[in-house]
Amino acid sequence: MSVTPDDVARIAQLAELHLDQEEMPALVGQMSRILDYVAQLGQVQVGEGAKPFVLGPDAIRCRPDEVKPWPLAFGPSEFAPVFKSGFFVVPRLGQFGDEGSDE
Amino acid sequence: MSDGTDIVAAARAVATRIGKAKRLNAVLTSPAELRKSLLQQSKTVHPSGVLYGMAVAVKDNICTLEFPTTCGSKILEGYESPYEATVVARLKAAGALIAGKTNCDEFAMGSSTEHSAWGRTLHPTDKTRVPGGSSGGSAAIVAAGAVTAALGSETGGSVRQPASFCGVVGIKPTYGRVSRYGLVAFGSSLDQIGVLGRSVHDAARVLSVISGRDPKDSTCEDRDPLRLPTVPENLQGFVIGVPKEYFPADLDPGVRRACERAIRTLRELGASVREVSLPHTQYAVPTYYIVAPAEASSNLARFDGVRYGPRFDGAADVRALYRATRGEGFGEEVRRRIMVGTYVLSSGYYDAYYRKAQQVRALIAQDFRNAFDRGVDLLFTPTTPTTAFKAGEKLADPVAMYLADIFVCPANLAGLPAMSLPVGRVKGLPVGGQLIGQAFLEDEMLEAAYALERAVPGTAEA
Repeated sequence: MSVTPDDVARIAQLAELHLDQEEMPALVGQMSRILDYVAQLGQVQVGEGAKPFVLGPDAIRCRPDEVKPWPLAFGPSEFAPVFKSGFFVVPRLGQFGDEGSDE
Repeated sequence: MSDGTDIVAAARAVATRIGKAKRLNAVLTSPAELRKSLLQQSKTVHPSGVLYGMAVAVKDNICTLEFPTTCGSKILEGYESPYEATVVARLKAAGALIAGKTNCDEFAMGSSTEHSAWGRTLHPTDKTRVPGGSSGGSAAIVAAGAVTAALGSETGGSVRQPASFCGVVGIKPTYGRVSRYGLVAFGSSLDQIGVLGRSVHDAARVLSVISGRDPKDSTCEDRDPLRLPTVPENLQGFVIGVPKEYFPADLDPGVRRACERAIRTLRELGASVREVSLPHTQYAVPTYYIVAPAEASSNLARFDGVRYGPRFDGAADVRALYRATRGEGFGEEVRRRIMVGTYVLSSGYYDAYYRKAQQVRALIAQDFRNAFDRGVDLLFTPTTPTTAFKAGEKLADPVAMYLADIFVCPANLAGLPAMSLPVGRVKGLPVGGQLIGQAFLEDEMLEAAYALERAVPGTAEA
């Protein structure tokens, strides 16, 4: 299953990779070579309902789902433009055009 | 080493030895930085640890606090991890000295350590050849005698293949035996941290320390650390299978001679040796080169210049920023694998490639189970089809490079423990013999390796 330059350009876009035009011919050739090689798996009879292989512990353990406070490197008052009595001070809804800010 | 002066002297000696091996480009840490760190470590190292004073180098894709972690890639140049891998923490708690970061193929993708952004590593005895890969720096620095052991990582044979090329011992544990917390992910259903050592015992000691449960890694099995076996007098009672598919007609004649000599030695030690068949072996490399790139394309999505890595500025929008950063930051082989992985996972191709590969993988694992169910305890094979090849020889043809892993990647696909140990030389170049064990029975594999190591002339011409 050989690939075309258009295929390679589309895949590069999906993979978020910038490719230079001058490297395109070599990449098309190498990808085609690799995909032609791995395509031999198409000949293997796996039978109906063959399950994909899964490794690892039968039941993947999860950490306890505990809600813990996440400590900030510095307090909210240090990054808020205006902070008063434990609250962020923001403009009242619908009054962005007004001068100054309401509390 | 009973007092502090001895450990300081040992740390200095390690730094000097690694400095003398600088021409190999096996260790990425600068000599000055390494010396400073080793002296610092020697002042705080745990004196009652079982590895007290042992110098262990660490592959550059395993996070350390002492040194940057770059994975051999420009995209992680200068990256300092805010945490350390569980295996590194356990080595330190056992009294080992962390002897710098070793060169590797970028993000562990390669079989020759030629794909590192920091230049290729040389073979320890023939500079025109490769040390194997991707843990080539770890293998070369152990073979050079600068450290007792080194950590590597395996996705498709990246510890055993360089161990074979460089004439040292390399162990890949069972999937789930060793925590991967702090190992930069490549192929998550395959990745395992392994050990390279000058002898079976050196490597096994390190493996014992780093193994065992870790709540930080959900793929790490809830098991105690590996207990080391005693060195057996003989191998009576062992049944060792020799898979015929690992001795093809085009196997290098010298490798065949060395391995046949090792098989004779196994018989002389009392083991019962019988031929077995693993009929899907020929599909292991194509299966691996679908599964591993697919998982890599997903794992490496995080390296985009925003979350990690230097940012290549000047882009018009965020997607252009991602593309420029990744296009510039990744090397040729990594980009190629990301492209192949993205292709096989893309709409319309997933079933034909990725799903099919996972089904064939199940057949490959079943082959091993069938052999073990018929009474075989261990398998013995060559580790690689040839000795170390010439630098540059396989760079133009990626498939030719991939085939260097033909005897090692099946154990990764099946998640089994396996190891390589020297069984002879051909024209001065080391040949490795491979033992493959049953899941979580590393102790049996090590027992056989201890006996074989003592009896086989590992440095003699075959």
